[in-house]
Amino acid sequence: MEGMSRPAPGSGSRTSLMSAPATVGQPMLRWQSRAKSIDGIAAELGRIWTSISLTTEGPEGDERRVAARTSVMNLVVIAGRGEVGERVAAIVDGLTGRHPSRTLIVTPADPDGPAWLDAQVQAHCVLPSDTAAETCSEMVYLTCGGESGQHLSGIVAPLLIHDLPVTVWWPGEPHFEGRSARELLPMADRVLVDGSGWSGDGLKGLVALANLPARFDVEIADFAMLRQARWREAIASTFDRPGLLPFLGHLDRIEVRYAAADGAPGMANVVRPMYHVAWLASRLGMTVVEPVRAGEAAWSGYDGLLRHGRRRVPVALRPVESTAPRGTTLIVQIHATRNRSQLWVEVTAYADGVVVQASLDGEPMPERRFLAPRKREADLLAETIETPGRDPIGAAVLDTAARLVA
Amino acid sequence: MSTKAPVAPQPRTIREERLARDGKRRRPSHHAEANPLREGLRLERVPDPHVAVLFGATGDLSHRKVFPALAQLWRTNLLPADWALVAVGRRPYDDGTFRMDIAESLHRNCRVQLDEEAEHQFLERVFYHRGDFADNALYDTLTAKLEDMHLEHDTRSNLLFYLATQPSAFPEIVGQIGRCGLDHEVHAGGWRRIVIEKPFGRDLGSAIRLNREVLKVFRETQVYRIDHYLGKETVRNLLVFRFGNGIFEPLWNRRYVDHIQITVAESLGVEDRGAFYEETGAARDVLQNHLLQLLSLVAMEPPATFAADALRDEKLKVLRAIAPPTRQDVAREVVRGQYDKGWVAGVPVAGYRTEPEVDAESETETFVAGRFEVDDWRWSGVPFYLRTGKRMAKRASEIAIQFRDVPHRLFADANTDPQPNLLAIRVQPDEGILLRFGSKVPGLGLDIRPVTMDFTYGTAFSQDAPDAYETLILDAMLGDQSLFTRADEVEAAWSIVTPIHDAWLDMPAPAFPNYAAGSWGPEDAEELIQRDGRSWRRM
Repeated sequence: MEGMSRPAPGSGSRTSLMSAPATVGQPMLRWQSRAKSIDGIAAELGRIWTSISLTTEGPEGDERRVAARTSVMNLVVIAGRGEVGERVAAIVDGLTGRHPSRTLIVTPADPDGPAWLDAQVQAHCVLPSDTAAETCSEMVYLTCGGESGQHLSGIVAPLLIHDLPVTVWWPGEPHFEGRSARELLPMADRVLVDGSGWSGDGLKGLVALANLPARFDVEIADFAMLRQARWREAIASTFDRPGLLPFLGHLDRIEVRYAAADGAPGMANVVRPMYHVAWLASRLGMTVVEPVRAGEAAWSGYDGLLRHGRRRVPVALRPVESTAPRGTTLIVQIHATRNRSQLWVEVTAYADGVVVQASLDGEPMPERRFLAPRKREADLLAETIETPGRDPIGAAVLDTAARLVA
Repeated sequence: MSTKAPVAPQPRTIREERLARDGKRRRPSHHAEANPLREGLRLERVPDPHVAVLFGATGDLSHRKVFPALAQLWRTNLLPADWALVAVGRRPYDDGTFRMDIAESLHRNCRVQLDEEAEHQFLERVFYHRGDFADNALYDTLTAKLEDMHLEHDTRSNLLFYLATQPSAFPEIVGQIGRCGLDHEVHAGGWRRIVIEKPFGRDLGSAIRLNREVLKVFRETQVYRIDHYLGKETVRNLLVFRFGNGIFEPLWNRRYVDHIQITVAESLGVEDRGAFYEETGAARDVLQNHLLQLLSLVAMEPPATFAADALRDEKLKVLRAIAPPTRQDVAREVVRGQYDKGWVAGVPVAGYRTEPEVDAESETETFVAGRFEVDDWRWSGVPFYLRTGKRMAKRASEIAIQFRDVPHRLFADANTDPQPNLLAIRVQPDEGILLRFGSKVPGLGLDIRPVTMDFTYGTAFSQDAPDAYETLILDAMLGDQSLFTRADEVEAAWSIVTPIHDAWLDMPAPAFPNYAAGSWGPEDAEELIQRDGRSWRRM
């Protein structure tokens, strides 16, 4: 207990040590210090786990063990701006207990100034239950000034825990052709992005994203794609009925309607609508005949053409005036004709989820609702971490999306 | 008289196969076509819309386990939006008062509390239906009610029956379901499934009879016999641990394993279930199901696929490889016990015979330990020591695999003998896996000390694992029978336990009580394992 309330030996004035009884499930800062060099950071990281007494006070004054570092991965966050780093840190902090990691939040700064490095080294701990030991993980805020910001691999590589996977999370607008990408992505196993936040229609970024696996041998996870999981469940469930399954081989048309603010429909990010089409096309083995093209009229949206066997399947992305955030998928419509029978399926977003309506030859089928509250970034990050390894379905969707854009 | 439909000619030769491939003749379909959109969906699948019918809804099990599990599934959006539950019980409730009662139970028993809105949405889908299980009128009105509910809630005639009643009511309820035709699955008319709680029979004969009664009405593919141990995260992880890792399975056999211990210890007594326990005892309550299920999961061969029947086939082979014990085997290899008064966790507790609703001269065992052998190629000669008891020193369930000692003592001069390697899979509490190995003590000498690599779920994954009931109920709704026991499995397990009971009936009355509450069981249990030069693990 004393060890937790005193600065660690040799840590100097830069090191502060927090002491307070932990609350179950509430992450708390247990250690904080600063360093100005890679060696200094490494020394501080080592000091957390070697030079303090790893005990703290339990709820009844008993001595409680603080678990040593527990890490399941290295998480490298490329934060273009300081406030992005703070937002990301809060999300990662919330995952301390669930997916402890060594997190490096890297912010290049002042590119024209002299080279400098400033790092804040922290240990965050969480008490999973009354009887368990605390689970702790490390977070390092790295600000790289001047030329050091141009050589990120030399800064990040020495700080990675070896043998653990490296996930690079690139919030905001990534520059896949830039120096940061060339420096950091070769050491990454997986890259996390959120395509729905990219500027413009986001389609150019999709192509660059789809090229990353070939350039750097990395897996891709896009939060924009993960958010569609319940939509996919809803669409797939429609075709679970044996009578409707054969219609999947006879699609006539796919249309996705998305939210666009009044007056500027062309500016909506259409990555999410595009993923819907790409998912259907890749799962059904369709090929791209004509990539999607934006129409000239303000509200015309995008049109493209797929081939499924001998059938040509038109694809349409249509903007709809809506108060929902721009680019949000509002409706996915599927038309199919088989043996002169016509199937119409429409999946529509509502406040808490999606609702599936379908009709066969004009005869409506029972409506089905799927609950799907909007996922927070923390949920998406956790979900991504929980499904490590290759995601061939996601890769195929991304690849098809890129072909639809090219 | 039945008329058989003409059977389409099956291609049997290469030429016929080629013609079929070229579309000149229809190729027979060997498998149902899979939905290509399903592949790779990361979310837990949401069950089809359905109505669940819970018999015994006012009972303890429903309040403590079933409703909280359903509420958690609702909270996490894993129940379909078009879902409703009919709670069937004898007590005089209406929908409103029953919902209030359930709300209280949820507040007491839910592992994560529902927010107000979610709780309201959940409760408004629960409807109470009062009646006596033996009364035809209950089922006639239930049938009419279900028809209305299918229309009102758009649940497509899908029905999940859940029997959480006294086992004696199972045959009556199943028979009545059959009488009303509620079991019928008609083409495109919805599925019908039934979940049956343990104990499934009280001996081999009654299990066979009960299976016969159930299978008169339902097909085996509609029946889900629950053993909640199979839904526990650690138990499910056992399969992943064995068959998802390359380094353990090569060691998992008689060549490297010395023996295996499986313990299910409870610190609680019989609480307010004295009458039930008097008729059951530890062998029927835990050995026949939890312990033998754990044994079969540890000892089974890798299934060819993770499909329900492939898995259950392999478990069944293990149970069938255990010879039913003879009277001599029981006398020598099985120990029973009953707890006396004692101290548990610093609190004085009563002996079994002074518990409420327990006979003052009861011969019911509250502890059983046994030595079993799985006579197959993999395990021949490897003893499996199983034990379970109430009022033991602590609550702990564990599977311990003790490996053989090294063939040659290279470090014979070391001050400490290295202990053999041990792999312990903790089922509860502190769920995790521990591997023990010898390590040199730092210093100039050559002392060896056992050290452990200890994986604890709590430190690697801090999120709450779902309760076993959540897992199992969701699986039943989805039609996945992997974690449910099949009729032949249940009967195979009884064919091991029933001879033990039969032998006990022929033996003189046991000298009960024979262990103090708060201990690890009777002395005889220690002797059982010590005869083989081994000892129970201290937990």
